[in-house]
Amino acid sequence: MEDLLEQTIHGLTLGSMYAMVATGLALMFGVVRLVNFAHGEFFMLGAYTFWFAFQELDLPYPVAGLVAAAAMAAFGGVYQRTIIRAILERSWHVQLIATLATSIVLTNLAVIVFGTQAKEVPTRLSATVFQAGGLRIAWQRLLVLGASVVIFAALHWFVKRTKIGKAMRAMSQNREACAVVGVDVQRVALVTFALGGLLAGGAAALVTPLFNIFPDMGALLTLKAFAAVIVGGFGYVHGAIAASFIIGVSESLAAGYISYAYKDAIAFVIMIAVLLWRPQGLFGRRIGI
Amino acid sequence: MLRWSGWFVGGVALAVMPWLVGAAFPAQQRYILHILVFTGLFAALALSYDLVVGHVGSLSLAHPAFFGIGAYAAALLATRAGWPFLAGLTAALVCAGLAALLIGVPAFRLAEHSFAIGTLGFALVTHVVVTNWVEFTRGPLCVTGIPRPVIGVGALSLRITTVPHYYWLALTALALVALLYRGLTTFRLGRAFNAVRDDEALAATAGINPLKYRMLSFVIGAALAGGIGALYAHYITVLCPEELTIALTVNLLVILFLGGVGSLRGVVLGAVLFTALPEILRVAPTWRLVIYGLLLLLMVIKWPEGLDAALRRAGRRPRA
Repeated sequence: MEDLLEQTIHGLTLGSMYAMVATGLALMFGVVRLVNFAHGEFFMLGAYTFWFAFQELDLPYPVAGLVAAAAMAAFGGVYQRTIIRAILERSWHVQLIATLATSIVLTNLAVIVFGTQAKEVPTRLSATVFQAGGLRIAWQRLLVLGASVVIFAALHWFVKRTKIGKAMRAMSQNREACAVVGVDVQRVALVTFALGGLLAGGAAALVTPLFNIFPDMGALLTLKAFAAVIVGGFGYVHGAIAASFIIGVSESLAAGYISYAYKDAIAFVIMIAVLLWRPQGLFGRRIGI
Repeated sequence: MLRWSGWFVGGVALAVMPWLVGAAFPAQQRYILHILVFTGLFAALALSYDLVVGHVGSLSLAHPAFFGIGAYAAALLATRAGWPFLAGLTAALVCAGLAALLIGVPAFRLAEHSFAIGTLGFALVTHVVVTNWVEFTRGPLCVTGIPRPVIGVGALSLRITTVPHYYWLALTALALVALLYRGLTTFRLGRAFNAVRDDEALAATAGINPLKYRMLSFVIGAALAGGIGALYAHYITVLCPEELTIALTVNLLVILFLGGVGSLRGVVLGAVLFTALPEILRVAPTWRLVIYGLLLLLMVIKWPEGLDAALRRAGRRPRA
């Protein structure tokens, strides 16, 4: 019983990470209709920034985490101003190749700068364990779960209540109409990408103490986050979050009870099963002829 | 007339390439021919992929899986059961085609992005299985000692052992795939494929069953990929799970979309350029892939419709 609970909590931690990455991806798709295949690399760069701030500069954990999140928000902004601006009005396959090319550049830059050897960043919270009965969970995992609740609540408030958040939702419905009534489309896109970077950097700062970091960790993460976005219903942020937790928990339970080696395969089989059951995604609406 | 003589000269030049390369770069003949073998196999693989992506418009991400299934089928049959080359090649074609049929039935229930993710999921599952089913595929230990191909029997048999021999085999394979590609995409069948790609509902009202044609191109594309996988396995003689990762999909997408999707010339041009480019960039080994990525980025922004279309336009301009 404790074992099942432990595996589920591991899965929820993993799900929080996927959800933060997938949310950025879903926001970008919703607002500017573009799939950012370099999004996993945002997380990877966030992880290395956190490693540098925490391990090399010796900053305290919360400060290093904020540094990583802020750096990735800035990076998201720069990415939008340079690459996204050039491909925003182009066809989907130009966007696919351009964002894939960006991910190749970022991954191999990371290889040059940081080397291929995996890095570990243990913190005091990841080394100490919360115990209740037979249950043993690293404090870091509880921090991830708590922080992700706060982050998603803040995000909900931001998108629903602030003016820029409303502009983002308006743009996801009709970009041309927004431009007509005077919404600064480029500025909204900039905020969206900065927000995507912020979420990826924040996720990296939260979960990096639990996992190793290496330069090509982004590729599989992009694919899983993309799968979560599709399964959630394209562009529906709450759908992407729900699907992320499904992937995280099924991966963790598969690793614990079936086979560690096959965990990714099992998670993807579940994804495919969900898609076959609801081809439009969990929350997407069916558009029929 | 000029067109045909151009094809003839080009064909002869390709056929005598080993001697040309030997005369021009005697020290590097093997290396250059090796790159050319890869280019030929990659061009054939990209053509088989373009049947699906370029002609019926289904963004399948499962192609490395079919390539890998063919490669592993041929490799395992040759090393464990001692099957001759041509029998293994046929088995590879059949296995990959059957896999496509099995995965196609559920996958084509999905539209666009969901189809991409469904096929991607299949590719990832295949990779995980090949890596971990060690008793069957040897996993990360790789299948080793795959024999060089022998075509025919007895005194008439042809042993493909040297790199130039293999170059001619790859060239023949590419020519066959290109002919098949032309045949499939030109006549009534080709028009039906393109009708399904351009407007599915309209095609259906004209009596063209979209699912049937999608499935047909998916299965043929996969079977060809499996056959090319078999040729590849017999060439490199050591087959590892890394051959069927998502990196192969990225390469194929780059070849198709930067070369010219849906066009024979564009796809072959893309395959030549994007197999040669990473090799040329070996002059800067550390920065190689960074420069490669930056070049891709520049090209896709500068020539969004592909190099083939850009060349055509540049060729027309002076006369206009």
